[in-house]
Amino acid sequence: MDWAVIPRNLSFLLGGLVLTFELAAISLAGGFLLGIIMGLGRLSSRKWIYYPASLYVNFFRSLPLILVIFWFYFMVPFIIGRPLGDFLSAIIAFIAFEAAYFAEIVRGGIQSVPQGQVMAGYSTGLSYYETMRHIILPQALRNMVPPIVTQCVIIFQDTSLAYVIGLKEFLRRTSLVDSRELRSLELYLFAGFVYLIFCSIGTIASRRLESRQIRR
Amino acid sequence: MIEIRNLSKWYGDFQVLKDINEEVKQGQTVVVCGPSGSGKSTLLRCVNALEPFQQGEIIVDGRSVTDPKTNRYELRAEIGMVFQRFELYPHMTALQNITLAPKKVRRKPTKEAEDHAMTLLERVGIPEKANEFPGNLSGGQQQRVAIARALAMEPKIMMFDEPTSALDPEMIKEVLDVMIDLSKGGMTMIVVTHEMGFAREVADEIIFMDEGRIIERGTDVSFFENPRNQRTKDFLDKILI
Repeated sequence: MDWAVIPRNLSFLLGGLVLTFELAAISLAGGFLLGIIMGLGRLSSRKWIYYPASLYVNFFRSLPLILVIFWFYFMVPFIIGRPLGDFLSAIIAFIAFEAAYFAEIVRGGIQSVPQGQVMAGYSTGLSYYETMRHIILPQALRNMVPPIVTQCVIIFQDTSLAYVIGLKEFLRRTSLVDSRELRSLELYLFAGFVYLIFCSIGTIASRRLESRQIRR
Repeated sequence: MIEIRNLSKWYGDFQVLKDINEEVKQGQTVVVCGPSGSGKSTLLRCVNALEPFQQGEIIVDGRSVTDPKTNRYELRAEIGMVFQRFELYPHMTALQNITLAPKKVRRKPTKEAEDHAMTLLERVGIPEKANEFPGNLSGGQQQRVAIARALAMEPKIMMFDEPTSALDPEMIKEVLDVMIDLSKGGMTMIVVTHEMGFAREVADEIIFMDEGRIIERGTDVSFFENPRNQRTKDFLDKILI
């Protein structure tokens, strides 16, 4: 074993980790926002909103992420006439894909708020938007925190799949270093260790939040 | 103030309201009683357009509830509603619960809304609880905050859906006192309740519902002393002990 390979390439590897975090953060924010919209759509009593939202969620939940990444990478340039670049097309793929999972989290969170709260909001003259914004979503968000943290951990791991379109995120850079240095064992152990650290932090945070919720 | 004409409502095949006719004049208090599942709560929710209905008409303050020209948000703002389970917003303080709708719907400045809220909290007797969260209040206190929240919109009508049913006995009076005060102050009210003491004191009319129908109505004493309907008699026997 020659662990010196890691300090030697550390800045290159950490650069990939930064990209991984960027990818995860943007996917999380975008996926969550789109997920709220889709989740609300799944709860709509209007068929023309409910069916498209349900179709969206079920569609993306039945596809492997790697396929979605390929799709956006190859299809979007075909539609808009110019290449998007690997980062942007990966971002779009992640947002579209994760939104489907967030939609289900949002739906569950909102359904956990008693229906009487909606009635109370409406009865004072608040609109649907105001009732959601000020009464339902703040309560639902509280219930959604543990599954959202879990989903963050999953997104963080999922970003490694962006290597299939050549994006130089953390895992991709590890394999690039490996092809140069031929130190597979050390490098992939190190990569695993890094993922383990960050995902454990997320998992522990999630468990803490959950137990706090139970006590309340 | 409220006119209900030939109102019928179905949930799927089940008819929950059957040809309801009722008029509530300005300043009147109407008490609705009857066994659970008789359609009392549904009736209230039809009046402020929280539930749709298939037949008949409801006219509130000159506006038909089902008329597409009627703005249902404005309509609801005119009708305060108090629920059995309080339904205070648990993530907001008492004061925030009360000021939310005046700020958002009536566009009141924060200061003005808060001053008004404090006046209302004094009226229901708990100004010192303004900055407490609902979880730290007793049931009776929560329900009084809920009444203040409804009053904050300065509604023309107040509806109460079994406001004391979820309360411990020693807290019922503090809520009823607020309601009696309101009724005597000239508020138009529909109250679903089995508190017959309340009904005796302030009701201008008492209606008894069973299986979606109004089967008996009376003004005050006559209702209790000689109900015409056997169903009413059985029910009153049970709740009057």
